[in-house]
Amino acid sequence: MCFRIRRCCAIATAIRTENLAKLYGTDSEGRPVGLVGLTLEVAEGQIFGLLGPNGSGKTTTLKLLLGLIFPTSGSGEIFDLKLGSPEYKRRVGFLPEGPYFYDHLNAVELLRFYATLFGMSGPDLEKHIQELLELVGMWDRRAIRVRDYSRGMLQRVGVAQALLNDPDLVFMDEPTAGLDPSAQIEMRNVILRLRDEGKTVFLCSHLLKDMEPICDTVAILSRGTVRRLAPMSELLSGDSPRYVLTVAGQSEQVQSRLASLATEVRPREGNLEAVYEDQGAALNAANQIGAAGAKILHVGPERRTLEEVFVEVVGGE
Amino acid sequence: MLRPIYYVAKATFHEAWRRRFLNGILVFAILMIGSSRVLMYMQPGAELRMLVDIGLGSIRFFGLLIAVFMGARLISDEIEKRTIHTILAKPVSRGQFLIGKFIGGVTTVWSNIAIMGVAFYGLVRLTAPRVAAAAEGESWVYSLDLMYGRVLGSIGLIFLELFVVTALAVTFSTIFSWILATISTFFIYFVGQMSEFIHQLADPERGATPVAAIVLGTIYRILPHFEIFDMREAILDPARPLPWEHPAKVVIQTCTYVVVVILIGYLFFNEREV
Repeated sequence: MCFRIRRCCAIATAIRTENLAKLYGTDSEGRPVGLVGLTLEVAEGQIFGLLGPNGSGKTTTLKLLLGLIFPTSGSGEIFDLKLGSPEYKRRVGFLPEGPYFYDHLNAVELLRFYATLFGMSGPDLEKHIQELLELVGMWDRRAIRVRDYSRGMLQRVGVAQALLNDPDLVFMDEPTAGLDPSAQIEMRNVILRLRDEGKTVFLCSHLLKDMEPICDTVAILSRGTVRRLAPMSELLSGDSPRYVLTVAGQSEQVQSRLASLATEVRPREGNLEAVYEDQGAALNAANQIGAAGAKILHVGPERRTLEEVFVEVVGGE
Repeated sequence: MLRPIYYVAKATFHEAWRRRFLNGILVFAILMIGSSRVLMYMQPGAELRMLVDIGLGSIRFFGLLIAVFMGARLISDEIEKRTIHTILAKPVSRGQFLIGKFIGGVTTVWSNIAIMGVAFYGLVRLTAPRVAAAAEGESWVYSLDLMYGRVLGSIGLIFLELFVVTALAVTFSTIFSWILATISTFFIYFVGQMSEFIHQLADPERGATPVAAIVLGTIYRILPHFEIFDMREAILDPARPLPWEHPAKVVIQTCTYVVVVILIGYLFFNEREV
């Protein structure tokens, strides 16, 4: 049903910025430091990833969008309300990087405090707090004071506080940083669940492997400038007409047959991957290799990893 | 609009009461007030004066420490520890946050003063009749009822004085780091104690140059006049004039000063990047 609504109606914009800039001076080479004119639109109901190396301006962007700092120039709107306005904050959740909370409180007290800032109270709130703490796996540890939390526990409670008001838009700064592998998977599932519920998620991260499977649209930021802004599928397929043939195993015999036909052969995750200049060449090779008894796993357009795209875009910066 | 202020104030109050440093100051203050019961005999013939000086002096001094050390950290700590990010990302304006922090800070200071004040007033009620009875027939017999009233009045003035000090500390904490805010508040407090002296220096008839008269006169007008909060001298001597004409005037002036100081803090905080 949600899909049909999206198809038949114009998709609303959750975030819109126009040449939003926050400059902190210049570096030794005279280049501006900070965020240099960010223009973007984030449609509602998607996971938007703002990626970039450390110091590229990701957190600055988040702070600007939340009204914690003020732009040097440019403008922005969230749900058509001017940046910094307390009105849109009713519809927004925020998970900061390495969240910091009042450390004398326990998880329940902390969520109760934040909930009161939204005007929430009563028995329904207590139930809501329990649900949230169960969602992030902190209900059993609810009596522990924040000062005794591990990094992972802080992150979990941070997610819970970001979802207290059932927000339409959730900002998350490095949501998977510092989490163990299972907690990273849980976090990704939470983010995907938010999108399935129709919420917009704005992620800032430099952990590309965590972002690749979940982001719908990605902006790559470097030195305060957006270098690429595109849907994830477009970004990974790229403009290349090349095709890839993946064959099971890494036997030398198959490898030499592939090498005779392909532009490039490379091992990948226990298999062999051969790259061809066009679709015809790839299919032809697949037929020959298949007839020789090799197991064909996949033939399709060359798809790069987000990491490869990122390195290509950001380069040595 | 008032709800976020209330909850920020409540959280600030609870957090402050869990700070061991502030609890330690209160315990030490109570010990000092209690010890005045013994120390007053160090000056035979002036026991009540000693009792009042040590007791009220302790409330004022330790209350000042609490007001400055807590107030100067109220905003700056939130910024330095980044706890402010998750709060201002909620529907809480900077004004609401600042006022909530200030009210939470002031109620913490006042509750500390109330505890010290009750302890001291109880001590005075227990001790003064015995000292007065022992002194009967001598020339310095006090009017005990007047003294009790003036002790309460003095404690009330400490409430007002620390109201101003907390406002200054909170405002400085919107501008500076907590260390600089602490130093600035102490500086204003001590200069404010000398406001009458500055007023005299600004007098051209006493040799002040026109420029000095303008500068010192301006400083005098801007500074809080902390002398008006000290009526210790008038507690034991009914003939001594009080440092102000009408109590209501002191209350109104103090509240106006606090509002202006907090408003200045708001102007800075509203522009401050966190």
